Amino acid sequence: MSEPGNVETLIVLQPIAVDTASPDREGRLVIANGLLVAVLVHLSELGHEHPGRWFMEAGFGRLHGLRVPAFPNLEAATRWLRRHLKPA
Amino acid sequence: MQQALTRKLESFEPLSDQARWALNGLVLKVRQVDARQDLIQEGDKPDNVLLILDGFACRYKVLPDGQRQIMALLVPGDFCDLNVFILDEMDHSIGTISTCQVVDIPRRAIDEITVHHPSIARAFWWCSLVDGAVLREWLVNMGGRSPVQRIAHLLCELLMRLEAVGRVTDNSYAFPLTQTEIADTMGLSDVHVNRTLRELRALGLIHLKYRVLTILDVERLKAFCLFTPNYLHLRNTRWGERRALSWPGRAQEG
Repeated sequence: MSEPGNVETLIVLQPIAVDTASPDREGRLVIANGLLVAVLVHLSELGHEHPGRWFMEAGFGRLHGLRVPAFPNLEAATRWLRRHLKPA
Repeated sequence: MQQALTRKLESFEPLSDQARWALNGLVLKVRQVDARQDLIQEGDKPDNVLLILDGFACRYKVLPDGQRQIMALLVPGDFCDLNVFILDEMDHSIGTISTCQVVDIPRRAIDEITVHHPSIARAFWWCSLVDGAVLREWLVNMGGRSPVQRIAHLLCELLMRLEAVGRVTDNSYAFPLTQTEIADTMGLSDVHVNRTLRELRALGLIHLKYRVLTILDVERLKAFCLFTPNYLHLRNTRWGERRALSWPGRAQEG
């Protein structure tokens, strides 16, 4: 998903509606170098401790199963994703 | 206050007046511990048996990345581990969730009371066996149930365990866990816990306000998560009748 060396991972965020069985619907497909790696969901005003944040609803590949606190905004989410997608 | 201990033990084993009197002697020095304090940390050498008389505590481990996993909830009447003093060092930490009344029982006192009162020794065995059974059920819960059933199952279990020690009124009990603590217990994210609690509310199964949880329809909640209380082995609750029947004569005061 990531090229070795100094080439930065290209991350594209594509809007999508997500069924979370809750009012949280607005989402983004996170595509890194052409591969779907995660789905982010915007936390609605209803009941969440931190409404307005972006939550990693699902992660694939090396992001699978990670429990990550919700991000304050999409920029922070992208920074975190970029860091975790770097080849080890 | 020590009632929590005798009630719990009597939910497993009938106790004589002498045994009850001896148990009261174990819980003379009660100390109050604030919420979210460690009672003993991973790596510490355990000297005493910890007994929770009031409040909620938990066993937990913290992974190198800071992620916490709560492996057990300790409620009134629960020991941290009856044979903990055999260990060289703790392999996990125990911390309070709410303000707790805690008793430190010296190893010698446990040895003496079990030698002189076989019924207490048996009840202590019950405690250890049921702790193991609860841990097994939690493994099943984490590995096999959906998030919403998983949390519903925990709420049913707490209802029964707290009822056994007289901490339930009209299907309501003190529920001091934050959403993050539920998440750390159930292997879920805060967000999923929030949505799940909302779903259980929307289904008319629970009410949660001011840290008091009310189960609005116990039978429906149990059916919802396929709760079977057999692993708790309680005899003095509304679900304990079957066990009393299968053990004729044992439910009498001994």
